[in-house]
Amino acid sequence: MSRFSKSILVLALFGASTATFAFDNYKGIGRPATPAEIKAWDIDVRPDFKGLPKGSGNVDRGQELFEEKCASCHGTFGESNEVFTPLIGGTTKDDIKTGRVKGLSSGELPQRTTFTKVATISTVFDYIQRAMPWTAPKSLKPDDVYAILAYMLNLAEIVPADFTLSDKNIAEVQKLMPNRYGMTTDHGMWPGAPAKKGGIGNGGIPDVKNVACMKNCKPEAKIGSTLPDYARNAHGNLAEQTRSVGPVRGVNTSGDAPAAQPAAGAASPAMELAQKSGCMACHGVNNKIVGPGFNEIQARYKDQPDAETRLVAKVKAGGQGVWGAIPMPPNSHLPDADLTTLVKWILSGAK
Amino acid sequence: MAANPMKIRASNKDGVTEVKVLISHEMETGQRKDASGAIVPAWFITELTAKHNDRVVLGAEFGTAVSKNPYLAFRFKGGAKGDKVTVSWKDNKGETRTDEAAIA
Repeated sequence: MSRFSKSILVLALFGASTATFAFDNYKGIGRPATPAEIKAWDIDVRPDFKGLPKGSGNVDRGQELFEEKCASCHGTFGESNEVFTPLIGGTTKDDIKTGRVKGLSSGELPQRTTFTKVATISTVFDYIQRAMPWTAPKSLKPDDVYAILAYMLNLAEIVPADFTLSDKNIAEVQKLMPNRYGMTTDHGMWPGAPAKKGGIGNGGIPDVKNVACMKNCKPEAKIGSTLPDYARNAHGNLAEQTRSVGPVRGVNTSGDAPAAQPAAGAASPAMELAQKSGCMACHGVNNKIVGPGFNEIQARYKDQPDAETRLVAKVKAGGQGVWGAIPMPPNSHLPDADLTTLVKWILSGAK
Repeated sequence: MAANPMKIRASNKDGVTEVKVLISHEMETGQRKDASGAIVPAWFITELTAKHNDRVVLGAEFGTAVSKNPYLAFRFKGGAKGDKVTVSWKDNKGETRTDEAAIA
């Protein structure tokens, strides 16, 4: 994506004099993007800090923001394992010195966390700015992102409690990242020449070798044996466990796998509203994601005549405890009419 | 490890103070063996006390079932902005650690 954005930028630079240049092949279709449009879209922050907005934020401010916007899912100390894998933990003072997290190779870590893995601080900045908070992405100002990042760095014991992170000193912090030498680029997915020729990739050699067989081919592979259905759940439901191999959460082996989600394309207006309002980030129609599935909500409240007014108030103010410990954030930014539409839709079966 | 401070946050809402503590401790059960087959000696927190100013609000006995770097959250009534919350633990090696935070 970054390469793509670069070419767009280059086009934009020449755009003034050769405005039709890029669109010669598509006469009469579209128009060049305006610089303002490109600026709004081009928000990526790169490891060399290109694209990093100016600003600063300190640990104290970050703590306030983290409590308000992040802690409900990530835990006050970034330790929570309930919704996502933990952000903080598993790194030592020694790792900060060596730049490789020892626990990753020694197997000491009970679980990997964001800060044991991430090699570049710019990635964390970019991710928070782009995708967080989950229910309202891109709502944080650059100063807020700096503050939250400063707080996380303090939790990870990389910077002291009175630290102020800014665009000026973020490069210094990069030199303290616990896993800063942990990233390898000697893979086919990385573009460019091999590292010894000055590039960052391996020249495009694929990581796997899959040559098409033209003669004397092996017959189609058949699966010889599978775990019988009654034994699938022998170690409990893998989806509810934290695993050290493969995906952190395994497949659902409990036998009551939720029905497949309906295709997003064939959505009703209320479904579109739910998607636009961020509901679908945490709620599925038929299954629990972070919060309960809409059909579970409907099943619980279907015999209660006052459910609609109560649920509207609850969605607006947020809540916790009815479906478990993970709180639902308040949604007071949505108009009341939208809330009522959504609640009605959920109680009528979310179709 | 005992040198690493606990992280404590205490916040007051409607007269109830919620305290969250992240403790840094190995919490070895004494059942694990290292690469050479020798048993890793047990090393875990046995007692934990939380005080609001000088009043004890939580006393707990920990054991080997508690995880490494434990997380603890509890609530108590009373407590005002700026009051001190002190948490201290003692482990089976006799080491102790005490940390405090002001209620926000």
